[in-house]
Amino acid sequence: MDQFLNAAIMTLQPEVLGAIGLGSLIGLIFGSIPGLTFTVALALALPLTFNLDSISAIGLLLGTYIGGMTGGSVSAILLGIPGTPSAAATVFDGYPMAKNGRASLALGMAVIVSVFGGIFSLVVMVVAVQLVSKVAITFGPAEIFALVVFGLSTICGMAGRSLLRGLIAGVIGLMLMTIGLDAFDGVQRLTFGSTNMLQGINLLVAMIGLFAVPFVIQVFDEHRRGIKPPAQATDVRAELPSFRLMFANLWLMIRCAFLGTGIGAIPGTGGPIAAFLAYDHAKRFSKEPKTFGRGNIKGVIAPETANNAVTGGTMIPLLALGIPGDPATAIVLAGLQIHGIVPGPALFMTNQTEVYGIYISIVVAYVAILVMQLLGIRLFVHVLRVPPRLMAIVVIVLCGIGAFSVRNSIFDVYTMAIVGLLAYGLIKADIPATPIILGLVLGPILESEFRTAMNLSGGDFAIFYTSPTALVFFALALLIVGLQLSGEFFRKKSKNAAVGTSNA
Amino acid sequence: MMSTLSKGGIFATALAVFAMGASLPAKAEYPEKPVEMTVLFGGTANTIAQLLSELMAEELGSPVVPVSRTGGGGAIGYAHVQSMRPDGYNVVWNSNSINTSYHLGTLPFNYEAFDPVAQISVEVPVLAVSADKGWTNLEEMAAAVKESGETYNIGISGKGSFTHLTSVALFNAMGIGDQMNYISYGDGKAPVELLAGRIDAAIQWPGQFLSYVESGDLSVIASTGADPVSVLPDVETAQAQGFDVDISMWRGIAVPKGTPEEVIVKLEEAAKSAVESEKFQSAAQNIGFEPSFKGHAEFGEVIAEDDAFYASLLQELGMTN
Repeated sequence: MDQFLNAAIMTLQPEVLGAIGLGSLIGLIFGSIPGLTFTVALALALPLTFNLDSISAIGLLLGTYIGGMTGGSVSAILLGIPGTPSAAATVFDGYPMAKNGRASLALGMAVIVSVFGGIFSLVVMVVAVQLVSKVAITFGPAEIFALVVFGLSTICGMAGRSLLRGLIAGVIGLMLMTIGLDAFDGVQRLTFGSTNMLQGINLLVAMIGLFAVPFVIQVFDEHRRGIKPPAQATDVRAELPSFRLMFANLWLMIRCAFLGTGIGAIPGTGGPIAAFLAYDHAKRFSKEPKTFGRGNIKGVIAPETANNAVTGGTMIPLLALGIPGDPATAIVLAGLQIHGIVPGPALFMTNQTEVYGIYISIVVAYVAILVMQLLGIRLFVHVLRVPPRLMAIVVIVLCGIGAFSVRNSIFDVYTMAIVGLLAYGLIKADIPATPIILGLVLGPILESEFRTAMNLSGGDFAIFYTSPTALVFFALALLIVGLQLSGEFFRKKSKNAAVGTSNA
Repeated sequence: MMSTLSKGGIFATALAVFAMGASLPAKAEYPEKPVEMTVLFGGTANTIAQLLSELMAEELGSPVVPVSRTGGGGAIGYAHVQSMRPDGYNVVWNSNSINTSYHLGTLPFNYEAFDPVAQISVEVPVLAVSADKGWTNLEEMAAAVKESGETYNIGISGKGSFTHLTSVALFNAMGIGDQMNYISYGDGKAPVELLAGRIDAAIQWPGQFLSYVESGDLSVIASTGADPVSVLPDVETAQAQGFDVDISMWRGIAVPKGTPEEVIVKLEEAAKSAVESEKFQSAAQNIGFEPSFKGHAEFGEVIAEDDAFYASLLQELGMTN
């Protein structure tokens, strides 16, 4: 308790609070601008922490991380372009809501459930960090492979009208990620002897291309053909979610927060998987699944709760095991190490005060984000007043900068453009873009975990079916695919029957 | 009339700018603009580079900007810097990867495309095993492995990676190389896999094992460099335990071939005082690497020696391209 009070005194200093607030603001800005992500923001914030004391440094980094995760929903909702891969699932219903003039409701809900998810995961971390980290390490390559297969099965729910087209899109995503230097055997794949191609296709770059470039082309095309943007876009009401709406969805929020925390705790998984699984879950258990994709607020609540719950989840292996779950937490880890805080099992014995400081910083960061974002909504919604053709120019410039800044590589800007043109073609061919993202996000994990598992077992497939955890996930995946296939079968049958009677 | 006047004006301005530009290099002293430091990897490499560039900027009186160009096992960053003008404004934060990536065939040129500036730090891999194996040194491990006749799973970062090469060299020297099955884990996941019991041993960086050694879950039984590592001073080197292995990873700074001598010397001096600063030394202790400054001539020898060593090691492994 003494240590907790010490930590509280150290954290609640003006300069520490300032650092957390600054970090949250940087994160929010980078997260909400399409093309710029919190991984870049964290890389920029890291040198700033060298001259700060350890608690302020931690606060700045955590604020940036959490702010970035939360900010991703802003452009997902307003423009249909996710600010971060974790916000990709928010586009489905967030963007239609904005089109229906309910942007501020979606934005408000997104930030409130984000804070809920984040605080929920923090509570789980405080209460059960040792237990959760023990469970998390039982997830070996075979179990993570099974989890990823389960994640991929959600393609069924995102495929739109045709399962076949969804699968085509998923496979395109999987294949794109095989380009480059194979991390396992150091073999060059699909590089055609070019040094540039060795770096492969970066997930963020591909995502920017997939969402932003078709948006821009579409806008210019409509402008050229003289199609006026829908009138209701200019009617922006500052409508915030009511308590009644929140309570009505409390149970969904709790389930999604739980899911996000769990997925975040497993190293090497991360925000996008959690968000997609949560979205799929919300849709599958909804009484009116048909309204999803057309502006159902549950479609915003589920992924936004889950992706912020991931922040607390990833802190568990980061602090308890010293394992960063994604590139963003790897930078947080570096910041901790520079200040002499070495995460791992010994941290909770030797640096109890700093651990409490981290907990308090997370709470402060969420409070800061809640205030900033709720105030910001009034500002953000004005984006919708900007004529789309002007917005498109801003978007494409920002995305070019964003693609370049991921790895400081002009190759990535070309990649963005090419992926974007291909995506536009696919959209015209009625192939949905979202399964491509799933393929991009899950493909590399799917492959590496499968190969590591096979390598561990010496080529024996038993490693997959002797693990109960893996079996559970395989069964869930089978169930989802089975439900989808039978659903599609019955739909066709009833359609045919309907056609038959009308002909008679 | 107006237009010719303004044209003349533009011409005069252009001439003035040109004259200024032409006279500047003669007077100005390096560095007169920010120096860009290309960083090839994330993780520890990136963290050290961020700190080093801060400290070097203080010495040079001009910003040093760490720019991350990762990917392709370092090939992307090397290719970028190698294609830049040799004027000292583009430096690469390099490592043994210049040797290994060339011999692995991912890089079309070798270390001779660069001029060495200074060695900055050394990282020494260590061998960790699960504490309940009961092995306390290499001798016991070798004996136990030989007696069992079974295959053991060893965690490495990736095939052809530095930890892989170190593992092969060490286990071959111990005479148990044939019984080892190498498992690639990116992102430093090997310690957890070791903790979970899915692998039997792992060669990684000392900082990754520190906390587990403190908590008593893992034991580190050997380091592979010439001297013990400072964060784990009780761990004996492989050489001290009677196995002839001396492998450690250096990191340093290099510039494109043909950079003027006085520029190299200036960078070298800045690097030297950066390494000697208290901030750098304490960060080294926290992160778990050894500061180890070497001037450009000596550094050049280290790189050349290593090149021959890795060429033969990769040849032995059949991994050369």
